[in-house]
Amino acid sequence: MDLVLTTFLKMAFMLAVILGLVPVLIWAERKGSAYIQDRTGPNRAGIAGIRLAGLIHPIADVLKLLFKEDVRPAGVHRVMYALAPFLVFFIALLTYAVIPFGDYLEVGGRRIPLVVADLDVGILYVLAIASLGTYGIVMGGWASNNKYTFLGAVRSTSQMISYEISMGLALMGLLLVSESLRLTDVVAGQGQLLWGFLPRWGVVIQPLGAILFMTAAFAETNRNPFDLPEGESELVSGYHLEYSSMKFALFFMAEYTNLVVASALIATLYFGGWNIPWLPRAVIEARAGGLLSLLLAAHVAICALAAALFLRRASRERGRFGDGRDREPGLMAGVSILLGLAGLAALALRPWEIGPAGASLLATVLQVGAFVGKVVFFCWFFIWVRWTLPRFRYDQLMHLGWKVMLPLALANLVVTAVVVALV
Amino acid sequence: METFLFYLCGGLMLGAAAMTVVSRSAVAAAVWLVFSFVCAAGIFALLAAPFLAILQILIYAGAIMVLFLFVIMMLQGPVLPAETARLVAWRKALLTLPAAAVAVILIGWAAQGREAAFGETPVTGTPAAVAELLLNRYLLAFELISIVLLVAIVGAVALGRRQEVQP
Repeated sequence: MDLVLTTFLKMAFMLAVILGLVPVLIWAERKGSAYIQDRTGPNRAGIAGIRLAGLIHPIADVLKLLFKEDVRPAGVHRVMYALAPFLVFFIALLTYAVIPFGDYLEVGGRRIPLVVADLDVGILYVLAIASLGTYGIVMGGWASNNKYTFLGAVRSTSQMISYEISMGLALMGLLLVSESLRLTDVVAGQGQLLWGFLPRWGVVIQPLGAILFMTAAFAETNRNPFDLPEGESELVSGYHLEYSSMKFALFFMAEYTNLVVASALIATLYFGGWNIPWLPRAVIEARAGGLLSLLLAAHVAICALAAALFLRRASRERGRFGDGRDREPGLMAGVSILLGLAGLAALALRPWEIGPAGASLLATVLQVGAFVGKVVFFCWFFIWVRWTLPRFRYDQLMHLGWKVMLPLALANLVVTAVVVALV
Repeated sequence: METFLFYLCGGLMLGAAAMTVVSRSAVAAAVWLVFSFVCAAGIFALLAAPFLAILQILIYAGAIMVLFLFVIMMLQGPVLPAETARLVAWRKALLTLPAAAVAVILIGWAAQGREAAFGETPVTGTPAAVAELLLNRYLLAFELISIVLLVAIVGAVALGRRQEVQP
């Protein structure tokens, strides 16, 4: 019964993080593209003048999509047309089951491993689920009974099949080094130091494999520069062209869910997962009191700085708009001051005298935080690349997949195998 | 719990397989076949063979059937009129059911009295166990099969290109 409960709690945590990241990522995509293209980006939607730099926009989007008419074009294959968006979203969520998001959580002397399903065949599971991801797109594109959507589906299939091979072969190199298919073992192996000073991360031991895997991950998620399945200029918008309302929203959410999956995989496999470099769990637990005090002090300092900046803006822009928007800087300053006061109150509770249970909890929280931080960084990396690189031409895509990445991945595998056999 | 899951996977698999046979459109048949593959993977997982289960999804559902579906969709696979489809399905069922029954009876007859022996050997389908068999005990056969497959691929490519070479 305990196992069922903890598993459900872990699933709920993962789901909350992922679904919570999706609207933030949509906001980051819009603001990031605006920043890269020297625009302002979305800043109009607001509740009583509170706009939070465009963060209200995702809420407005969701409301709009919920209340839109669900149009079903004539001549669609009804069952598959309805099933496709759910399938895409469902399969996008499945991968999270094997990704470890922390080491363990100590509750009442018991250690709960922070991974939903610690499969013996974790890496192969990831590949298998990734290969299933095509079905939703193919079904959606075919069932819509439209030439553009069908072309998008065909492109997506051929692209995914082509890049899956490089992805698998790049992973095999990592597998040879980590000597396990289990993702928790792969992450634990990355916690050590190489020659005493370099973190033994996948990207350090397998630099070529890491680059190949990341490129293949871009192709598997259909993100620019590999977003030919939805190439707007020639296919209008590809496989989800005929979808409207929440069905379109599911496709849209699945895209960002896939992005989070790919980021989590890159972080887990090649960038140490939940490991904090040069700060293993034992060190955190030994110096928990000092660390916690330092973190709280930093929190108070950041809050003070934010409050000062908001207050300055409030005094400078007094009455600039003449409506509710004028209240925003003042309100934000108030929130910052409250958060800072909360930090001060926590400091007053003497955090440097934290007990062993608290130390263990702190270590777990810091490790989960490190994992989420890495995931967020790679999500931003995806957005960054999307708005920096132009889209490939189709022949360039196939050339890169089959004639560049596949030989490189094979060479990487052979060299790794020889080195592992000799050492 | 395991028994329940076994019957669930098995029932869904049989249902999906039946739908594969009686579906009117070839695309729907292919999708049902994928579903039955996934259920088969579930049964492998229940039999303590996670490696086989994953390979079933990775290779059959994820790679081979994607290509099948791709080709069917490109060629606009036939959608049979309802009556023809029912006739074809019945003919298929009449032909295959006796064959399947005979096969099941033969297997049951051959396996008679061997349940104990089968039950005593611990069968594990972990990657390590499979690798031990494939890459140690049966290494020669394994490598020979891969060469046979390579020859088959080269032969298929040569046959496919023959018309182009001779104008």
